[in-house]
Amino acid sequence: MTITQAPARTTTAPAPTPRRRVPLEPYLYLLPHALLFFVFTVYPIGYGLYISLHRWDLLNPVKAFVGSEFYRNLFTPGTPQADFFWKTLWNTTFFTIVSVPLLLAAALGLALLLFRPIFGRTFFRAVFFMPGILTVSVMGILWRWMFDNQIGLVNAAREVLVNAPPIPWLSTEGLAWVPIVIGTVWWTLGFNMTLYLAALGNVPLSLYEAASLDGATPWQQFRFITVPMLAPVTLFVFVTTALSSFQLFGQSLVITGGGPSRSTQSVIQYITEEGFTNAQYSSAAAMGFAFGLIMLIFTAGQFGLMARDVKGD
Amino acid sequence: MTAPLSRLALLTAAVALATSPGPASAQSYSGSKVNLTFLHGFTGPDRPVMEGLIKKYNDTHPNVQVRGQAQPWGTTWQQLPALVASGKAPDVVVINEDQITGFVARGAVSPLAPAELKAAGINKSNFFGPLFATADYKDQAYGVPISSVAYVMFYNKDLMKKAGLDPSKPPKTREEFLKAAQACTVDKSGKKAGEAGFDPKQLDTWGVSLYNNWVGARAAYAAILQNGGQMVDKNQNAAFNSPQAVSAVQFLVDLVKQGVARPNSTEEAELAAFSQGKVCMFPSGQWYLDRFEGQKMNFGVTFLPRVGGTAKDAAWGGSSHLTLPKQPSGYDANKRKAALDFVAWMSLPAQNLTWTSTGSLPTQAAVAKNSQFEKAAISGIFDRLNSVYATSGYPWVGQVMGPFDQAWEAAYLGKKTVPQALNDGVKESNKQIEQARKNFQ
Repeated sequence: MTITQAPARTTTAPAPTPRRRVPLEPYLYLLPHALLFFVFTVYPIGYGLYISLHRWDLLNPVKAFVGSEFYRNLFTPGTPQADFFWKTLWNTTFFTIVSVPLLLAAALGLALLLFRPIFGRTFFRAVFFMPGILTVSVMGILWRWMFDNQIGLVNAAREVLVNAPPIPWLSTEGLAWVPIVIGTVWWTLGFNMTLYLAALGNVPLSLYEAASLDGATPWQQFRFITVPMLAPVTLFVFVTTALSSFQLFGQSLVITGGGPSRSTQSVIQYITEEGFTNAQYSSAAAMGFAFGLIMLIFTAGQFGLMARDVKGD
Repeated sequence: MTAPLSRLALLTAAVALATSPGPASAQSYSGSKVNLTFLHGFTGPDRPVMEGLIKKYNDTHPNVQVRGQAQPWGTTWQQLPALVASGKAPDVVVINEDQITGFVARGAVSPLAPAELKAAGINKSNFFGPLFATADYKDQAYGVPISSVAYVMFYNKDLMKKAGLDPSKPPKTREEFLKAAQACTVDKSGKKAGEAGFDPKQLDTWGVSLYNNWVGARAAYAAILQNGGQMVDKNQNAAFNSPQAVSAVQFLVDLVKQGVARPNSTEEAELAAFSQGKVCMFPSGQWYLDRFEGQKMNFGVTFLPRVGGTAKDAAWGGSSHLTLPKQPSGYDANKRKAALDFVAWMSLPAQNLTWTSTGSLPTQAAVAKNSQFEKAAISGIFDRLNSVYATSGYPWVGQVMGPFDQAWEAAYLGKKTVPQALNDGVKESNKQIEQARKNFQ
């Protein structure tokens, strides 16, 4: 409708008055989303900010203004928040640093294997994608069982194969990350793999033909054709995987409960504990904003990367 | 405001009038017709049982209509403050033992005055003492118990017999417990605990299950209470590092050193070991009863022996309490009377007996005496139901039990010595309490 009207308007009616009117129409188009945006995004953020600056409890008629107290707690040595917020933030960062490269490399490897016309290709694609449809509790309980200190499949296999004593995976600092990271890779790999499969289909075959005529080895073809051609999708996969890794919550909650000694507790789990176990809503809100700000900076950096990529620099 | 009569209410009222044999004797509410809302978290297999009880009440009480609403507990804990603050709280709400003191201290629940309880026919002394007191705060009652579970000790009768123990006499004291645990412990080369060459790293069968999570920590909780210790002191600060607490927890941790309990174990691993007949005694929640019964195991249930000390019997318990939330000033007095009548009826022995079919323990001695329990395994703890203690009485249960569970984990796994673990836990807990206290000023 607008497409057919637009040229007609410009040709037949050259604006008689120079007075420029503010066009209403675009704002009407924006209105439905703007309403939702204000009700479900702007208002909660504003209210959350209010909560974080007051000693807030719905049941307490006095909601005293405390200014930045709950933000300062994060930087005051000796407070539980200063101890645990940064510890759990580091835990989450550590998880991201370890799991993102694995999720990228394993997804790319699988995609390369399953892109070739091998027997049962669709079947295997489906199999590798399938764990992703499980809920986090099912996935978590499964991997908790696999790595159980005493009766886990991993320890049983170690005993049978190499006659090694059981390792207390779930209750050893450091090792407790193993089931969480492996479980997460197994669980979310399929989605990244699908993205890579789609991208591989878009790499022109002529490039490989030309390269092989010039005598390029398969490794050189991978290194100098596949990898650069997949760069945009790699960046996309990197950004989305990193963001979702920072949202770590369910896996560590179910597999280790955040233990031992909070060594696998994610920052979101800690914020939830502060809010709903300790009923410290304002402190939890303040930590939510602090974490949100850190994520915002991180995301801005990633968007910068993506924008540069789109421009082709 | 008058309550509109729904067609369904009229119908059920008519049915009730037609079927009930005259005015019910237990009925104490005789005011004008009211509708009540009742929020509870019995969303599992216990839901139809609760709905059946509500229907029975409605059928026999023509001038009160209760509309039950089941939603997950966690949702209720998050919604209740908003409902109370906006004056839209349900007339009756079920609150659990770990939440109730917090809601009471924050003013979400109204006290049940002694006169009110008396008028409604609720007699506190009919119930198990510590169970009813779970919903008390500062010498005021705030709820009436309707459901209760406890931490118990399962034991494998076959394995005990094999170890030369009498399965009809499960241990009650620390000495008996230790003797049984040692008798049950045999390493893979057939050597018993304490014998020369006994290898605690290669256990074939062992005495007792200890494990690292919060359920495992409830054994330490009981041991501390048994030794006369407490979770909090009289100022409601964390105090689970008292000498009594240290000595009680040390005894449990030492069981690992003696080789009668496995190190580094998890609840799942011990549960599997007990199911497979590898461990004699498995302390845990009574909720595993169905599982062992389904497996046709030859097992018994007993109260947790006095492992921590000799001060008193004690075990951890969880419970659900009927409460009346705080209502706005214009609240219908008839509704409150009717709500109290509903609470009184719901907590009567007949209803409690029906409710035990969901796996709940009796809330009162009158029900525990019922002949239907004579052959039930769970009756093994009925002689000490008066010694089940919930984590309540202080408004910061989360701030105390969270660090306590972590302290137990660190001590059991051997990451810290027992005094160090408990001291660190108390230190963290008191920092959190100091912050929480500011909300109550």
